[in-house]
Amino acid sequence: MRVRNKFPLKLAVGLLVAILIDTALQLVWKSAVLTVPDDGSPWLNVQAVLHNPLFLLVIFLMACQFFNWLMVLRNADLSYAQPVTSLSYVTVFFLSVHYLNESTDVLQIAGILLVLAGVWFISQTDHVTRFGEHRGV
Amino acid sequence: MSQTSLGVLLVIICTLLEGVGQVFLKKSVLGAVRWYLWISFGVVILFLETIIYTKALSFLDVGAAYTISSLNLISVTLMSRCFLRERVTRMRWIGIFLISVGVGLVVART
Repeated sequence: MRVRNKFPLKLAVGLLVAILIDTALQLVWKSAVLTVPDDGSPWLNVQAVLHNPLFLLVIFLMACQFFNWLMVLRNADLSYAQPVTSLSYVTVFFLSVHYLNESTDVLQIAGILLVLAGVWFISQTDHVTRFGEHRGV
Repeated sequence: MSQTSLGVLLVIICTLLEGVGQVFLKKSVLGAVRWYLWISFGVVILFLETIIYTKALSFLDVGAAYTISSLNLISVTLMSRCFLRERVTRMRWIGIFLISVGVGLVVART
């Protein structure tokens, strides 16, 4: 009988932090993009980016996400960690509707529920591949 | 090509870059020889993805753009199995399938 590997606390914290940062990153990023003037001039857009604190916040969040993600990858399979962090799709969706006033409908809600179900299935699998069992179904 | 179509195309390109970049990052923490090269190439690829994604966000709602990008789960999972030799069980594939269908429902109205 196969025994599931113990789930480390630091992996749980790392995944939670990844979801939270991802959510904040997406919302700040979108807000930052909306402030860039749509005049078709790449140089003016670069200037706008360099003088916009929102883009600096985006870069900071990306750096935090990067180092946290390396820690997560040290403790879990890539094919496990990546789907679990897709929970941030759900949070981004609801927050973008709430704070950015983006529209929604019933089909989108159904889609979000399926994403949640998918993450649940993935969470039922082992978080790491032990040596010699890499062949999947 | 409409702005929405262009946005969707850019996000799909991003999903492929995400798969390659993530495999490189995972290689770097596996104790690979010359790990710094893996991490450097991974960062370059993900940076390129960031630029393209920023452009895509100007064409799509953030909810739609971000949800389409969940397609990178498929490329990441396939690459993880092939290049990292991770064990991808039927349960994990079901999860990926459900997420993908969920994504389809969300983007159907864009």
